[in-house]
Amino acid sequence: MSKPESKKSGASGVPVIIIVLVAIVAIVIALAYWRGTPSGGAGPRPTPTPAASNTPNMSSAPLGATPPNYLGSPNAAVTVEEFADFQCPSCGATHPVMKQIQGIFGSRIKFIFRHFPLPMHDKAYDAAVAAEAAGMQGKFWDMHNLLYTNQQIWSADPNYRQVFKGYAEKIGLNVDKFETDMAGIGAKGRVDADMQRGKALNLTSTPTIFINNKSVAYADMNVPTMQKMIEDALKDTQAGQPQAAQPAAKPSTAANNSNSTASSGNAAPKQ
Amino acid sequence: MKRTLQFIASAIALIGIADAMYLTIAHYTATEVPCALTGAGCEMVLTSSYAQIFGLPLGVYGAVSYFAAFALAILAAYGNQTAWKLFGVLATVMAGFSAYLIFVQAYYIRAFCQYCLLSALTSTTLFVLFLISLAVKPRSETI
Repeated sequence: MSKPESKKSGASGVPVIIIVLVAIVAIVIALAYWRGTPSGGAGPRPTPTPAASNTPNMSSAPLGATPPNYLGSPNAAVTVEEFADFQCPSCGATHPVMKQIQGIFGSRIKFIFRHFPLPMHDKAYDAAVAAEAAGMQGKFWDMHNLLYTNQQIWSADPNYRQVFKGYAEKIGLNVDKFETDMAGIGAKGRVDADMQRGKALNLTSTPTIFINNKSVAYADMNVPTMQKMIEDALKDTQAGQPQAAQPAAKPSTAANNSNSTASSGNAAPKQ
Repeated sequence: MKRTLQFIASAIALIGIADAMYLTIAHYTATEVPCALTGAGCEMVLTSSYAQIFGLPLGVYGAVSYFAAFALAILAAYGNQTAWKLFGVLATVMAGFSAYLIFVQAYYIRAFCQYCLLSALTSTTLFVLFLISLAVKPRSETI
């Protein structure tokens, strides 16, 4: 015991100096990197959203794009609302799961897709606008599918806008109108509206999925678990009061949805 | 010998600080991290709901923990035995938490992030260095 103590007292200042030096270097590097990163700007910008209360108030949040992009029945007792980013790999991995869920439940649920492009994904916002521009010609879900199934291709392509144009041709859009709509405020406004809703709900990651306003953990975003959750929600609504699932999407407005070609009754989007 | 281990531990902790700081800065500057080794795994892991606790990215906790480990290892190398014991406790907790995060990546997220794996490696190394230091103690006395 005495040996180390004598050693400590002999050199007690040295470790403190080293520790303080390392702390200073770490802070300087952090500040330099912070300011030097072009996408970083001057201040903190938490990737998905600022943090973190996980108790969203669905009814008081902005409605999002109205009418929303949805599949299934506008009057379904169970609403599944997904916030996702076309460039996010987790969302791409969840896409086939959601397709299967739609296949299983069809018109028994209302599946709403909301845009929540993350700032870290440089092409995600444009991809969302492209899907909305396709939606203006009634092909939202076709573009949605193409964007997810080819995510790795366009995400890595600097000329991704040309790639989107190619997809527009492929699904039979009027390409001139598609390009005009992509540049216009209509499509962007819908994406922005969805993002405002997501921000108000304090989303912290994508994909975020709500089943009748209850959020689903990412670990549960697989077919068996979600199937069980939706079946439980269906049972609950049959047993109790038939709950108006989603304030954003009143059936009357959703029925007028220009984007919802696949909306009523079309359970699974076409590939 | 033990002192050498403590200096090695402090150097390893510096790697951990750099790794965690990188992820924290990338988070707050919304920078996409290059993920050459594990494909798209970094994105999936770092944007998952597991990547934050109480609204803060795990990198923040990692940077603080590694800095504490570094400070304790340095203090221990300059003779503070209590610091080395605390280092042992911290390294055990960090290695345990890293094991949990690997489990989460493997079973829940089903993707891996190379920076998280590096952090798991550094924290495990800190733990192993502490274990070795326990083993070498009697031998160093006989020399």
